[in-house]
Amino acid sequence: MSIALRGITKQFGAFAAVKDIDLDVPTGALIALLGPSGCGKTTLLRIIAGLETPDEGQVLFDGRDATSWPIRDRNVGFVFQHYALFRHMSVFENVAFGLKVKPRRERPAHKELRKKVESLLELVQLGWAGDRFPAQLSGGQRQRVALARALAVDPGVLLLDEPFGALDSQVRHELRRWLRRLHDELHFTSIFVTHDQQEAIEVADTIVVLDRGRIEQFGVPSEVYDLPTSAFVHRFLGQVNELPVQMRDGRAYLGPIDISPSEGVTDGRVKDGGATGGGATGGGATGGANSIALIRPHEIEVGPESAGWPAVIASVRVIGPIVRLELCAEGLPANEPLEAEISRERYAGERFKIGQKVGLRFRRWQVYPASGAAA
Amino acid sequence: MAAADARDSHRRPRWGRFILIGVALLFLGLFLLLPLLAVFAQALAKGVGAYVTAISDPIAWSAVKLTLLVAAVAVPFNLVFGVAAAWAIAKFEFRGKSALITLIDLPFAVSPVIAGLIFILLFGSHGWFGGYVRAHHIRVVFAVPGIVLATIFVTFPFIARELIPVMQAQGKDDEETALSLGATGWQTFWRVTLPNIRWGLMYGVLLCNARAMGEFGAVSVVSGHVRGLTNTMPLHVEILYNEYNYTAAFAVASLLALLALLTLAGKSFLEWRQPELRHAAAQARDRTRRGIK
Repeated sequence: MSIALRGITKQFGAFAAVKDIDLDVPTGALIALLGPSGCGKTTLLRIIAGLETPDEGQVLFDGRDATSWPIRDRNVGFVFQHYALFRHMSVFENVAFGLKVKPRRERPAHKELRKKVESLLELVQLGWAGDRFPAQLSGGQRQRVALARALAVDPGVLLLDEPFGALDSQVRHELRRWLRRLHDELHFTSIFVTHDQQEAIEVADTIVVLDRGRIEQFGVPSEVYDLPTSAFVHRFLGQVNELPVQMRDGRAYLGPIDISPSEGVTDGRVKDGGATGGGATGGGATGGANSIALIRPHEIEVGPESAGWPAVIASVRVIGPIVRLELCAEGLPANEPLEAEISRERYAGERFKIGQKVGLRFRRWQVYPASGAAA
Repeated sequence: MAAADARDSHRRPRWGRFILIGVALLFLGLFLLLPLLAVFAQALAKGVGAYVTAISDPIAWSAVKLTLLVAAVAVPFNLVFGVAAAWAIAKFEFRGKSALITLIDLPFAVSPVIAGLIFILLFGSHGWFGGYVRAHHIRVVFAVPGIVLATIFVTFPFIARELIPVMQAQGKDDEETALSLGATGWQTFWRVTLPNIRWGLMYGVLLCNARAMGEFGAVSVVSGHVRGLTNTMPLHVEILYNEYNYTAAFAVASLLALLALLTLAGKSFLEWRQPELRHAAAQARDRTRRGIK
């Protein structure tokens, strides 16, 4: 089932949860609504489910206006962060619930129902747990029961509200991969809400980044990560180093020091605040006089002292396959070191040490006007 | 040193535990068991024959029947109201919610005597609706309807008060899930909400029932103390006691105590019958055995 939102607005008292949202979710897509808490992502999901009514706008299911349909007629599967399993029912009864409450003529026969529930439990790898009660299962198992229960009624769309938020990181990682595989097998349309950029990038086909009730960016994960259209998205989708810079004649200055990426090693671009920057006055390629440069840790090239912006290594930390360096660069306060990440192999070759003098170059960066960036 | 400390800290709670358990048992015996035994001992002081005579007295029986009737009306009424009020308060946001919560508490705050007087003021011969009920030949005050009304008023908060925190803690997720799975509102209530709140509901009903059967003050004001007609068991006990008929007074009192014990036994039986409660209990035992918190 395809879903379209047209101009959805919702107020809670004086607080505008979502403002004039347009969104198209094609059939079979797996979409992540990503944003910090309070950005309106859960409200949007609940509006699609029919658990909230929008103040303005339309919800279209397969092109038909579903805005006023009650939740039970929408044929959506909804999975909550805290599972919401019926605690007085066994796992089997939980999964069977949606089938048992159907009107008599649509209700499957006893044998058929049993078969369907059992196959769903197999699908979520809980074939053995039918007689257990929710209290006897772990968090990850409970969430899989919740998923099987939602799938039992063959929903047109599966809506998941922070589905892995209450699980520990190992289980969360497994369940993400499992959900992705399940989606690739069954091709149901699904929308899930998360505040975890890692999760969104790992699981979704398309990421919708929300901030303060509006869509900041919409795109495939790599695009949103590599080409953020605003400082907000850039910051939200991973680690960044922030440098206040002055733009003059297309070059970036930190105080008197020219720290522009040198030609050849960079595709550093100057953005004028992006399409949704909101009121940022365009400075074109020269940016504003006051701008902010955002650089991801892996975009910093650490080389010999002569080959770039002079810096001193303040700390070295090996984190699995990568090595994180803290660098005190010339002209920056000593308590605000830059973070750079290099590969373990590189580190083994170069043998960087604390106190060593190095030169920094930026492989890529993006410059945003300071006003837009400060928001 | 550290090992000795650890052993100490293990040993100290042991006699501390005995003291605590001892104190609890002492108080339990002194304030609960002893009075209960005293009621039965006093009732049987003149032998079983006197006891049987006392409780087979038709006036005593009519008091028992009236008490059961009042509870049978007041408890279901408050059950419906309590569930509805708790549902509204826990699951919806509306204007005047805190005012409603305060209002529900009113019968707790008001003395039962005043609760009784309210109904005299409303339905007595000079009361606001006194003319109306007289014109329609309905007897409210000094009759069974008045007793029922006063009892309902006094027991109003018990079930709602018990359910509101339970329902608030459970939130709306379960209900929303049920609706998304295609259940109707009615199916959601019977299959999801009610099972979720049944223990809170049962405690509420127990408390409500105990109070409905035992209420003295409010009922005393509206009853008029007509023997065999408008005397509930507590009122009958008082009358017998005031007449120095101790054996009969305590015999009826023992019946009242017996009714209370029966409801408690019924509750325990229901708990015992619940399979998933046994599951949960077994699981808790399992966990302590394996030393997992």
